[in-house]
Amino acid sequence: MRTIVYTCPYVPAEWIAAHGLRPSRVMPDSVGSVFSLAGREGVCPYVRGFIAEVTKNDRGGAVVVTTVCDQMRRAFDIVTRKCELPAFLMNVPNTWQSAAVQELYTDELRRLGRFLIRHGGKSPSNDALAAIMLEYDIARTSIFAARERLSAREYAERIAAFGRDGPSSSCVLRDASCVERNTQYAIRNTRYVPLAIIGGPLMKQEFRIFDIVAESGGRIVLDATETGERGMCAPLDAEGLREDPLSKLARAYFGGIQDVSRRPDSELYDWFEEKLTERAVRGIIFRRYVWCDMWHAELGRLKDLIDLPVLDIDTAGDFESEENRTAGRIGAFMEMLQ
Amino acid sequence: MSDAPKRITLEQWDLQYEKLRVAGAFQPYYGGPLSRHLKDGDQRLLKLRYDNSAAALRLWNFLLTEKNRLREARAEGKRIVGTMKDLGTVPVMAYSFDNVVAFYPDGAWWIPCVMELSAGLLEIADSLGIDESFCPVRAMLGAFVTGAHFPLPDMLVCSVGATCDDFSAIAQRLEGLGHPILWWEMPHRRNPEPDETAVTLPGGFSAPKRQVEFVQSELERVKTALEELTGERLDAEKLSAGIKKANQVRRCLSELRHLAFTAQRCPVPALEMLIAEMLAIHFCSDRRETIAVLGELLDEAKARVQASVGVLDVDAARIFWVNPVADLQVMNLLEDCGGRICGTEYLFSHALDEIPEDLPPLEALAQMALADPMAGSSIDRAERICADIKMYGAEAVLISRIPGASHCALEGQVIAEIVQEKFDIPVVEIEVPPVTDSMRPTVRTRLEALVETVEARRRVAPK
Repeated sequence: MRTIVYTCPYVPAEWIAAHGLRPSRVMPDSVGSVFSLAGREGVCPYVRGFIAEVTKNDRGGAVVVTTVCDQMRRAFDIVTRKCELPAFLMNVPNTWQSAAVQELYTDELRRLGRFLIRHGGKSPSNDALAAIMLEYDIARTSIFAARERLSAREYAERIAAFGRDGPSSSCVLRDASCVERNTQYAIRNTRYVPLAIIGGPLMKQEFRIFDIVAESGGRIVLDATETGERGMCAPLDAEGLREDPLSKLARAYFGGIQDVSRRPDSELYDWFEEKLTERAVRGIIFRRYVWCDMWHAELGRLKDLIDLPVLDIDTAGDFESEENRTAGRIGAFMEMLQ
Repeated sequence: MSDAPKRITLEQWDLQYEKLRVAGAFQPYYGGPLSRHLKDGDQRLLKLRYDNSAAALRLWNFLLTEKNRLREARAEGKRIVGTMKDLGTVPVMAYSFDNVVAFYPDGAWWIPCVMELSAGLLEIADSLGIDESFCPVRAMLGAFVTGAHFPLPDMLVCSVGATCDDFSAIAQRLEGLGHPILWWEMPHRRNPEPDETAVTLPGGFSAPKRQVEFVQSELERVKTALEELTGERLDAEKLSAGIKKANQVRRCLSELRHLAFTAQRCPVPALEMLIAEMLAIHFCSDRRETIAVLGELLDEAKARVQASVGVLDVDAARIFWVNPVADLQVMNLLEDCGGRICGTEYLFSHALDEIPEDLPPLEALAQMALADPMAGSSIDRAERICADIKMYGAEAVLISRIPGASHCALEGQVIAEIVQEKFDIPVVEIEVPPVTDSMRPTVRTRLEALVETVEARRRVAPK
């Protein structure tokens, strides 16, 4: 089965899977973020890492990039010139209020479908699509349900594995030892300081942040990074699903994922504030890549709008060399909160 | 044509002004000696070199008095609309209303240069969390906070989607400060697929009809909002008339560019040409006067070409310039180093191409909006640059990076590669901050190297 790689949360894995292809959400390695496009200044480390990952990818059958951020939109130009993988650029609107932009997104899914068919996929029936959507929805629900029994890192890794390998990877808490171990984890860790992390997508090495927080006496109870809960689509509305599954899918993704790229991005704050209250969060780690204008500009706005302490951690993508600095800053932040 | 064409200092312009005044040269209502703008804090003017024609004086005075025009418009009860990011589309619509003046708050990006960082706008942006890692357009935030550089608009319109992230992020920050924005969606322009109806856009790019229809529906939304603001209905006839006026500006600029880029001796310096081109995007808050200003400049250029005179050496290296500069002085510097501009792509080629007059006007505007070089791929943009390099006979390309701009991080590489694949001509990339004084030797060295490379190539392969 051909693998279709992507990274943007607005690409519905179900749609790719329904075409008989294997969706795989790429999580770049920070090494690529350091060495790819050497000499180019101003490139977001995640975009560097993504380009490196895609250009060296020998398993992929095609790559899907979106227009959600300008650098990624332009990374598509590099990918099409430097890489032999067939590439598709999906237009994801920034505005979200009108029926016209929602229809534009659905149209883009149809266009993506035609691309997938050209590259080995087959057109899905409504029933087939609906069945896959249900399967993914169940898997997502089971991941969400497991949150409190897993360490923050394990939870984040489950989400990442789900993106990379689909529902087959999620097998959340299916084996007894895992249940036992994680229940014990939850019991042991009742005195932590609850934190949220918000920002763009994480790279592989950056999952260490969850450990660093835990080692400092905290716990990430809300992973609002793009690769965390915030990047998961809304629960499926199963009513009448088989009649028009594509529209339901579009609604779950385009209407359900709140992102900093939205204009206005007020719904991101509605979502975030609701979660912060629900999980009694006491502090926020704001994690951003240098040269990511979207998130960088949001720092001031976040501080204006949310009355919680915020720790700004920027990264040039080389987590290993930055780890001590990051740990020191998180440690100081935790001391302030304890 | 008056005196022998040359580039002169601000001090020399005061003498030249006196000479013109005594000779009874026409002065528009905003006319006067250029040096009077120094009292507004425009210190950079002291370091620039200007064309010595009356037409150039009018152009500069027109540019430097925009703030006054906007204030007068407000006093006259006109509606002021801040149009952001689309660089040329919504103003065509706005100026079709009887009672609207549109301007680009984005234009504030030149204030730090013109006022040599004395206005404090970048510091205000810093304090709002928008630091030097963003494009200098962040000065716009400071301009909104101080209210000193333009009156606060009655309405703000901003295109998003296939635009640069820094501007989108800054505009969102602005909205968060209490300035409501009407956002409209500009999709990434893509090539039509085999089963889609294709539309050839002004300037030659192609897009699916479906995208044109979508943009048209977005512009319809903007039009409705403007109608609500003004209480005036904008029918097709009025909008068509507005498009015809915009095309007058564009035709004039097209002729001027052709003369400036192809004449044996360059008739108009790079700096004045940059400003002339900028007038196309929002008419510097007075469409009628823009037509008159450009008309006079074109007449001067024609007279100079006719007389085989110009402002630069006949063998100046022919350079194609990509992206506008944050520091205007760099345009002078290129000429000081022995170069001349032969082709430009200052991010708004779509504001220079004629808008179709044989289509329903809103559809024509939608086509124009989609023709924005920044709305499509860098590959498309590079192809357009290549077409213009061929047309104007440029011998080298200079890509001027805008510090912190999201598009500059990657597009320069794509453009450079495509240009070199097609023409095998030298391409240099430089970064130009709002004030280049501290790095002037570095920038100068790179420009000189580019010019010398062109000259060396001429010696190897004489024409």
